[in-house]
Amino acid sequence: MLNTIACFKWVMDEADIKSDPKTHELIFDRVGYKISDYDRNAIEEAVRLQEKHGGTVVGVTVAPPGAKQCLKDALSRGPEKACFINDQSFTDLEPGQTASILAAAVSKMEYDLIICGEGSSDLYAQQVGPALAEKLGIPCATYVNKLTYVEEENKIIAERKLDDGIEVVCIQLPALVTVLPEINTPRIPSLKQVLGAAKKPVDNIGLDSLEGTFSPCLKTTGILAATMERRRLRFGTEAEDIRKVVEALLKEGVIA
Amino acid sequence: MAEIWIFAENREQTLELLNAGRSLAGGLGAKVAAFALDGKLAEEYINHGADEVLVLPSLAEDQPLESYVSVIAEEARREKPDIFLIGGTQRGKEMAARIAARLNTGLCSGCTALRLDEKKQLVMERMLFGGAAVQTVVCTTRPQMAAVPPRTFEQASPAKGREGKVRELPPVPGTPVTVVKRTPKVRESVDVTEAKIVVCVGRGVEKKEDIALARELAQVLGGEVGCSRPVAEELQWLPEDVYIGISGKKIKPELYIGVGVAGQIQHVTGMRDSKVVLAINRDENAPIFDAADYGIVGDLYDAVPKLIKELRNALKI
Amino acid sequence: MGEEKFAAIVVGAGPAGSTAAYLLAKEGLDVLLIEKGAAPGSKNMFGGRMYSHALHKIIPGFWEEAPVERPVAREIITFLSGDRSVSMNCQDLNWVKPPYHSFTLLRAEFDAWLASKAEEAGAMLACGILVDDLLVENGKVVGIRAGEDEMFADVVIAADGVNSIIAQKAGLARMFSPHQVATGVKQVIKLSAEEISRRFQVEGENGAAQLFVGDCTRGMRGGGFLYTNKSTVSLGLVITASELQKARYKISELVEDFKQNPHVSPLIEGGEVVEYSAHLVPEAGLNMMPQLCGDGILVAGDAAGFVLNLGYIVRGMDFAVASGEAAAKTVLQARKNSNFSRQGLGLYEQLLKQSFVFRDLEAYRKAPGFMENRRMFTAYPQLATGLLSEVFTVDGTPPVHLLGKILSQVRENGVSLAQLAGDSWKGARIL
Ligand SMILES: Cc1cc2nc3c(=O)[nH]c(=O)nc-3n(C[C@H](O)[C@H](O)[C@H](O)COP(=O)(O)OP(=O)(O)OC[C@H]3O[C@@H](n4cnc5c(N)ncnc54)[C@H](O)[C@@H]3O)c2cc1C
Ligand SMILES: Cc1cc2nc3c(=O)[nH]c(=O)nc-3n(C[C@H](O)[C@H](O)[C@H](O)COP(=O)(O)OP(=O)(O)OC[C@H]3O[C@@H](n4cnc5c(N)ncnc54)[C@H](O)[C@@H]3O)c2cc1C
Ligand SMILES: Nc1ncnc2c1ncn2[C@@H]1O[C@H](COP(=O)(O)O)[C@@H](O)[C@H]1O
Repeated sequence: MLNTIACFKWVMDEADIKSDPKTHELIFDRVGYKISDYDRNAIEEAVRLQEKHGGTVVGVTVAPPGAKQCLKDALSRGPEKACFINDQSFTDLEPGQTASILAAAVSKMEYDLIICGEGSSDLYAQQVGPALAEKLGIPCATYVNKLTYVEEENKIIAERKLDDGIEVVCIQLPALVTVLPEINTPRIPSLKQVLGAAKKPVDNIGLDSLEGTFSPCLKTTGILAATMERRRLRFGTEAEDIRKVVEALLKEGVIA
Repeated sequence: MAEIWIFAENREQTLELLNAGRSLAGGLGAKVAAFALDGKLAEEYINHGADEVLVLPSLAEDQPLESYVSVIAEEARREKPDIFLIGGTQRGKEMAARIAARLNTGLCSGCTALRLDEKKQLVMERMLFGGAAVQTVVCTTRPQMAAVPPRTFEQASPAKGREGKVRELPPVPGTPVTVVKRTPKVRESVDVTEAKIVVCVGRGVEKKEDIALARELAQVLGGEVGCSRPVAEELQWLPEDVYIGISGKKIKPELYIGVGVAGQIQHVTGMRDSKVVLAINRDENAPIFDAADYGIVGDLYDAVPKLIKELRNALKI
Repeated sequence: MGEEKFAAIVVGAGPAGSTAAYLLAKEGLDVLLIEKGAAPGSKNMFGGRMYSHALHKIIPGFWEEAPVERPVAREIITFLSGDRSVSMNCQDLNWVKPPYHSFTLLRAEFDAWLASKAEEAGAMLACGILVDDLLVENGKVVGIRAGEDEMFADVVIAADGVNSIIAQKAGLARMFSPHQVATGVKQVIKLSAEEISRRFQVEGENGAAQLFVGDCTRGMRGGGFLYTNKSTVSLGLVITASELQKARYKISELVEDFKQNPHVSPLIEGGEVVEYSAHLVPEAGLNMMPQLCGDGILVAGDAAGFVLNLGYIVRGMDFAVASGEAAAKTVLQARKNSNFSRQGLGLYEQLLKQSFVFRDLEAYRKAPGFMENRRMFTAYPQLATGLLSEVFTVDGTPPVHLLGKILSQVRENGVSLAQLAGDSWKGARIL
């Protein structure tokens, strides 16, 4: 029996974000939203543990009310319940705020294990996971690429992939882990799972039911689109074209 | 007096941060204090710009480096540093996030640039949306914290006869996370960040063996082979050290050649500063072509051999 | 929920599918609306303008709540020939009074809205699911298969768009051949709302629709389009697939040329491309219509080939909506008589025949044939532009009477008078 919470974030699809080369402003028209890439791995890992050891999986997200669609998406990936912590003010939160809000809500829930993604696709701050663990006062293991639950001792063995090598750690539950994308391959929801998702329960948690204040520490003073001057010339694979490319590279003086 | 603190898990990065720390200290008239994992490093750190070295106690065999969080946070709570720079290795990033959480202060992770504004506030830069944009932030609480990726700054250069205090920190209490096994990484000989020419393989390459094709191309050009993140992580066809992008290596070669690389923003962020970019992809709408000077639209298994042949002729190899 | 059965399963959350699902759900049926895209509309594109009448009939005053862009007040047709261009330009302000004549819109928002209406009405919407087969029991369609999952229903409505695999699986349609479909590409280009209103000489929120014939397709059968949205313009080309194949042009390159065209570039100058998409258009109209129903299945919208493609103008949204409506009505009646056999669903064809759908498609039945006529896209643009520029040119050479001008232009463009006469007569009758 293992009660797991999987934290997921609803983010803009960065591939849809364009920028104006002149003003260096980002253009957000026509952007789609998605569950942050590595959070799919977080949810998947939680579901796999449940399939192996039983227990429950709850998907938790902090978002503005408008992000409601994310619940069906998340639930179709396996959790039996979603916890939608939402308020109009929950936009452009900094990682510290998100962690505090999550902590305020999660501390009222039953859990043994919390799984976060390595980093969110939009901020990629890699903070919310470890910060949440601190706020809850539980141990954590980050950058985990293999996770096993030792039922009899109620502990996890986590293999961390780090700059200086592999480190295998052992933690008594409750604990938090952040997972790398290679830990698993998220399943693609089937029709029945999508239909099932619509029937699953959702806890709506509003700001008023959260203890504490969640004021920011950071102030954004500017956002500049990163643009790039490139020639963008196109060629085919005909011998003639390839020759042109090679000549061009020679002229650029980058090969010799 | 304002203090700038520095922590990194290894010597090289401590020296890098000392460099950054010193230049900030100049503007602030602040002292720079650096943490050392080993007392033997104290003198070197002082020579490289530390006014004080805080020597961390040694850990038990089964304690992970992150166990220092409690000690460091305690120290910070007492000493109230103004700025706290942490080496943004993976361990460093976790520790930074946890220390910031304990101190209820703001942290700029993946910090790519630092400077002081006229109000002597620390202005920090970081990337957003996988590198599509650069965000500048200031921190309204103290300490102002940043996790700075390795190689963001040059190492500080030593100055003879600098003076500095050395202070031992109290031992670390027992921690709930115990290490059961360590497998140090075998350092790769190749360093894609140094290579003049990088041939980068993406998931467009169908089989591990086919990387030979890229290797041959790299050989002809005297370059190195790098890859996209999934090729190193999901497929594990190439070592972690050679994947390029926002969470991998940032490279600035003379020539980048993308072979079957889609060119998602997180990848492009790692090769944006290449002098010339050549991309080979069969999907004419692949984003890599927007990041390329020369794009070959076609099957890599058709294009690369031709390219190698053509290069051999041209370079008379 | 293994043996769950729906009253109806609608495949495809485009205008046809969502309309059908909306109307059925409103009548209390439990409907399953399945869309392969991550969200309705996410994969869909079209030129840019929907005629309002069909949807207004179903959701009166839909424009009050629907994410439409601009009501079209100005219609422009431009013939392109080298340095010359001739435009027919008409503004009618009655078009921008309720019930509006037509709106420009963007599919991602619009389709999502229409699907959400179906969802609100009680339909079950499942996105990100590709329906890959039909369940057939002794000749009758009884449901669908998506991956591992099977889902049963009294009736399936195939609203899965052009080249409907569902209609094909049901044996009602065949795969299109390249000369039966056109390829469309489109770019959405960002400009300020004010700038758009200024460049297209429309007041405030009003919009313009501009169609291009001639150079933009290099004489190939098809045309260019430009629709003004609130703060973007939709610009693109539609060209017969077979001709593209023959010519071995990359349509993406043709679009770039189109944007460079001196008669076009000023309209989009300084704009940033924010979206790029491509899609097929069924072309041959009624001539390639599949069977519209079988036992337990109906085919609606593009899947049924309900599109008018006059080369330079494409129209299908209103047909899709109307056919979705007809399909829904048919299912409701079939339920009354609890008969979902081909006969039981026979009402569908009747309803369509009584509606504008068949009337309009019928009226333009010969259009595809006429469009095969290359002169339409080569000689005539040259002729028209040549002629008018002569009319306006004063350079000291002795004046020639209009007829003389026409004749000389006709000769220059290698068109025989007989052809000219014939084509204009045909054209007048068909278009
Ligand atoms: C938070 C976060 C951080 C990330 N950090 C990084 C990072 O640091 N570095 C990184 O690389 N990625 C990173 N990613 C992943 C990134 O978003 C992309 O998923 C990844 O770069 C795609 O790798 P790819 O191009 O090799 O594979 P794919 O996206 O699968 O692209 C394969 C390409 O090859 C082409 N192709 C296929 N077959 C052929 C053929 N025969 N001939 C020619 N072309 C062919 C295809 O058209 C396609 O464009 C990150 C993602 C997230 C969410
Ligand atoms: C370039 C171009 C320009 C056009 N311009 C105009 C115009 O200006 N005005 C106009 O009125 N019409 C225009 N049209 C035509 C118009 O877009 C179509 O007639 C209309 O979209 C038809 O609607 P539909 O619901 O039948 O099909 P679609 O809108 O194509 O919807 C079909 C839906 O089914 C989904 N689907 C397909 N297969 C499956 C499957 N197996 N499982 C699940 N879901 C599936 C698709 O993702 C899609 O959402 C244009 C078309 C093109 C290509
Ligand atoms: N708004 C949010 N709601 C729920 N979980 C989140 C949210 N933001 C971040 N997380 C979790 O924290 C991880 C790291 O996010 P970040 O610190 O933004 O890189 C993500 O992969 C999620 O698992």
